[in-house]
Amino acid sequence: MPDTLRVAGVNHGFKDLEVLKNLDISVKQGEFVSIIGPSGSGKSTLFHLIGGLLTPASGTIEINGANAVGRRGLIGYMPQAPALMPWRTIEANVILAREIAGKKDRKIAREWLARVGLDGFARSYPHQLSGGMQQRVAFLRALISDQELLCLDEPFSALDAMTRADMHRWLLDIWEANRRSVLFVTHNIEEALLLSDTVYVFSHRPATVLEKITVPFGRPRRAEVVDDPEFVKLRRRLTDLLTGVPS
Amino acid sequence: MTYKKWLPPAITLILLIAGWQVYTTVSGIDAWLLPSPKDIGDAAIEQRDALTTHTLATVELTLYGLAAGVAAGLLIAIVLHLVPFLRAAVYPLLVISQNVPIIALAPLLVIWLGFGIAPKIVVIVLVCFFPVAVATLDGLGRSDALIADYLRMSGANRRQLFTKLQWPHALPTMFSGLKIAATYSVFGAIISEWLGSEKGIGRYMIVQKSAFRADRMFVAIVIVVVLALAIFGLVALLEKLTVRGRRHA
Ligand SMILES: Nc1ncnc2c1ncn2[C@@H]1O[C@H](COP(=O)(O)OP(=O)(O)O)[C@@H](O)[C@H]1O
Ligand SMILES: [Mg+2]
Repeated sequence: MPDTLRVAGVNHGFKDLEVLKNLDISVKQGEFVSIIGPSGSGKSTLFHLIGGLLTPASGTIEINGANAVGRRGLIGYMPQAPALMPWRTIEANVILAREIAGKKDRKIAREWLARVGLDGFARSYPHQLSGGMQQRVAFLRALISDQELLCLDEPFSALDAMTRADMHRWLLDIWEANRRSVLFVTHNIEEALLLSDTVYVFSHRPATVLEKITVPFGRPRRAEVVDDPEFVKLRRRLTDLLTGVPS
Repeated sequence: MTYKKWLPPAITLILLIAGWQVYTTVSGIDAWLLPSPKDIGDAAIEQRDALTTHTLATVELTLYGLAAGVAAGLLIAIVLHLVPFLRAAVYPLLVISQNVPIIALAPLLVIWLGFGIAPKIVVIVLVCFFPVAVATLDGLGRSDALIADYLRMSGANRRQLFTKLQWPHALPTMFSGLKIAATYSVFGAIISEWLGSEKGIGRYMIVQKSAFRADRMFVAIVIVVVLALAIFGLVALLEKLTVRGRRHA
């Protein structure tokens, strides 16, 4: 079976600005992969390439074994901000990606909202929800788009620590019950180690892969894993990599 | 609106009218020069049959003209939005066109289109299309770039981008243009009736002016104001029913 996502030798830039340099990344089916890197290193740009919004200067991008360069509508995407439509109810927002694909189905939206504890908000409008709730809606919208690959761009970076911890538990519960392939961008080291099977560390711009780390903890994963000595060691190693301390 | 909002202006209005009545009574000014509020009320009652006919004619003309003007404004906005080249070529000219005084253009329209309803509708369209076109175009162009990226990456085509994002986003702005157009439309109708017509409040004003009937002129003015307010209210109601959710959290 081919990898869900294979990015190989991708280079990209804007005018004189070199952003991505010879990038290799892969996501296996059912794997949770994180990218961690300094802000401005080109993580969102990589998502725009995978989503077909941009075409790479060179290199290949394959989704489920098929060429995906410049092709849209192949991923479930969650942008850096919730990007919900303020004039749509939560239910109508959640169904948006399916609606675009011509598979509009309110029943699925309602079922999922109930399953993740948001059923009380189906008829609310986005501005009536807290930031954390809006992020859940944006995640659900990506999840029920029915694509194998989910690309989540710093979904929790705007949330406070408490809400963020809630969201981790929430996300892990849903994901562990519905193993999808996830590519998750963050600049939070603990978040990357807590959630992922594999972590890619990006360098400063132009971004290359500094290191690929396999996270040795099993599933289902508990929040207590952060106290594991192995976790502490990995966190140290990632901090050094990101702050440029030679190992 | 709560009574706290409408009560102060209502009291001001009543005081103004009362002051006006007192002034005309005490000063003994001629009624053909400045009629008292009571004179105006009497004139309205005396003329009610004629006024009803004229008002209905103006209402009909206004609604046709407004509908045509709004349709023209929306069409222009959508075409200019979808064809950036046309937008660059036409938009500045549209803005300049608003400096042509309608009152000067009106007689020309009569020469070209005759004395029927056509030149009147064109006058109202010319008055109404612009606020709708500008407001809608503005709203269409300012939709959220992040949502647009999201939609495109989810596979949305250009038509879906328009119907699902740009058009709903433009609705509130479109309505603010529509409210301006609605207010203008009545004045457009009055001007167009001055061009020559058998019926209508504009026609009625001309006749009463020749007869020096200031009291009846005032009645006509009140009717025009009430009509403009009513059409504005109708549009505001439509907005309330159509625009859901909210722009910003
Ligand atoms: N459309 C664009 N045009 C020009 N420069 C861009 C564009 N998008 C992003 N960049 C630049 O590319 C670099 C990487 O941006 P981005 O991918 O958003 O970084 P990250 O998501 O890692 O914070 C930044 O320096 C940014 O200014
Ligand atoms: Mg980013």
